[in-house]
Amino acid sequence: MTGEVWMGYLVDHHTEYTVAQSPFVLDGVRVFGADSDATTLAIAAVLHRLQHDNIGLVTVPEGMDAATVAAACNLAVWDDASDAEAEWDLLLSDEAIVVLARRDAEVELFEMDVAVEVDEPFHRAMEEAWRDELSLQHVSQGAYVSQAQYEEAARPRLFLQGQVSDEKAVWPPRFSSTSNLADSSRVRLKPSGRVLSWTTLSAAGAPSEFALRAPLLGGVCTVLLALDDGPNGVFLVVDDEDAEAFMDAPVELVVRRIYGQEGFIRYGLKARLIVA
Amino acid sequence: MVDVAVVGAGQTRYGNHALGLKGMWAEAARNAFASVDSDFEPSMVDEAFIGSLAFGGAQLGNTAALLTEHSDMDGVPVRRVENACASSGFALRDAWMAIKSGQADVVVAGGIEKMNDLTPERRRYWLGVSGDTEWERLAGLTFPGTYALMARRYFHEFDSTHDDLVHVSVKNHLHGSMNPQAHIQKEVSFEKASGGFMVADPLTLYDCCPTSDGASCVVLAADHVAKRMTDTPVWIRGSGAASDHLALHDRPSITQLKATQVAAKKAYGMANLAPRDIDLAEVHDCFTIAEVLATEDLGFAERGEGGRFAREGQGVLNEGNVTVNASGGLKAKGHPLGATGTGQVVEVFKQLRGQADEKRQVDDAEVGLTHNVGGSGATCAVHVFGRDRT
Repeated sequence: MTGEVWMGYLVDHHTEYTVAQSPFVLDGVRVFGADSDATTLAIAAVLHRLQHDNIGLVTVPEGMDAATVAAACNLAVWDDASDAEAEWDLLLSDEAIVVLARRDAEVELFEMDVAVEVDEPFHRAMEEAWRDELSLQHVSQGAYVSQAQYEEAARPRLFLQGQVSDEKAVWPPRFSSTSNLADSSRVRLKPSGRVLSWTTLSAAGAPSEFALRAPLLGGVCTVLLALDDGPNGVFLVVDDEDAEAFMDAPVELVVRRIYGQEGFIRYGLKARLIVA
Repeated sequence: MVDVAVVGAGQTRYGNHALGLKGMWAEAARNAFASVDSDFEPSMVDEAFIGSLAFGGAQLGNTAALLTEHSDMDGVPVRRVENACASSGFALRDAWMAIKSGQADVVVAGGIEKMNDLTPERRRYWLGVSGDTEWERLAGLTFPGTYALMARRYFHEFDSTHDDLVHVSVKNHLHGSMNPQAHIQKEVSFEKASGGFMVADPLTLYDCCPTSDGASCVVLAADHVAKRMTDTPVWIRGSGAASDHLALHDRPSITQLKATQVAAKKAYGMANLAPRDIDLAEVHDCFTIAEVLATEDLGFAERGEGGRFAREGQGVLNEGNVTVNASGGLKAKGHPLGATGTGQVVEVFKQLRGQADEKRQVDDAEVGLTHNVGGSGATCAVHVFGRDRT
């Protein structure tokens, strides 16, 4: 069967559960894309489910970043897998497949007929680069966004939470206590926009935090977007193998890995070009 | 109120230096002090302001105090001024204000950066520390990328193509070829500059300034002291500065630098001069698109006409109304971040005194301008200088 393409993944919706799978396959096994992991798949599954159901408490297995899933999905309540109150569980497969299931639901995984075969040397090299990047022994000279700083801006970064002041959306939010922004309401901006400009930095010119992966990717592609709700933002581009940026190109924003340092992955929104 | 003059100015050659911080600063200060015509000793300095990003972190704390030891200024109150690439433009402004306030008569402003003693990865880290770390840098941007976004948008909004940037590059390499202090002292052809290695499309290697080591130093004096030091002071007739959003995406337009426009307006107003009065301008061309935008923001070209300005060769030495980057600019003279702002003053000082190297002397130069930008336009300092006091 063919799942719905949702945020760059294949999503299969059922009454009692949602399956999110990576489209990439190696030797018949679903594998993660260059900047995806179980956390980003889980976010896609939850956000898809939220179109149909209200979700209260969800449990998260080991191997997913619970705080990032919570921030990206704006779920206030979170707990570990043993929580008896939870109505929903996130389940992790041996492959790049995540299931969001109502507690005690019977889950059946259907084989999906969409499969993008990945280049094995590239895939292995990218896996190794991520491992090296996250190693505590790899003291990167990368941009230092501490865990506290990351968490402070988690909702704007992952959920596109902004402010509305004088009927105008502001993003990222401001901390001014003297302007009327201090009392402004918080809103989620639509995760979509149009391209105002773009560039691809050569691997040699890319920021040092991308030093291990940029050569494998042939550089780092960034777009400046006019978000549909007003503010502008800059974002890395994801899944651009089959699409090139152009002026006014429509994009959606999806959560992916940005970079790792000191064993800690920083996630964020990336721009996915919408191919007509 | 007291008027302020530049009475001495000197620098190292920009480039890949064998000297470290102390040696480079000593050389720049020695050259500046030697250029003062008479009656000057380093002990006369009341205050000193030294711009530096402290690139590489070799002496991140108390940089300035270390340097005064190596320029016979022991005991002088000194501080490091940091505003990214505009550090010494702001050091100059602080020095000017110190004299204007009446608290000092003789003040040194300078700048320094050592950039070529790092591994490539460490250098790439430091080249990106002045953008918005949380949003721009995590979106993969260092400054080549930021200015590439500006360039592509500029081409979209106005009648301009990458060829216009090539004209900027060719011009500044021509000027740099005549400057013995420049990092790159050779001309490039239009064809060669059109086909450089792509750094951040649409910007190629020939659109980007080099990574330079260097130091620069100027001596300022109050009017009543300046006349004892020289018969040919260069007067600071206007000083303007401004800031803007750090991140590009927070600005309403990315094809103009508001900080430049505001700083220029203040400087022109103080000097009671207009853009048409400027004979030479040292502008902040860290990337060729930055010079195109600067010629508009400083009022030498109308909005959207900066590309045509470059295409028609209006900034070429003694060709148009204003010579732009007679030194070779950041593109060819080089860009040792913290040294760039006062390095621009060194060029204007020489030009207005008729002491520039013969081949690139601007004819009848009476009024000059310096334009020093931090990052992608978050900070900017503009100064207007004249041979005449008013």
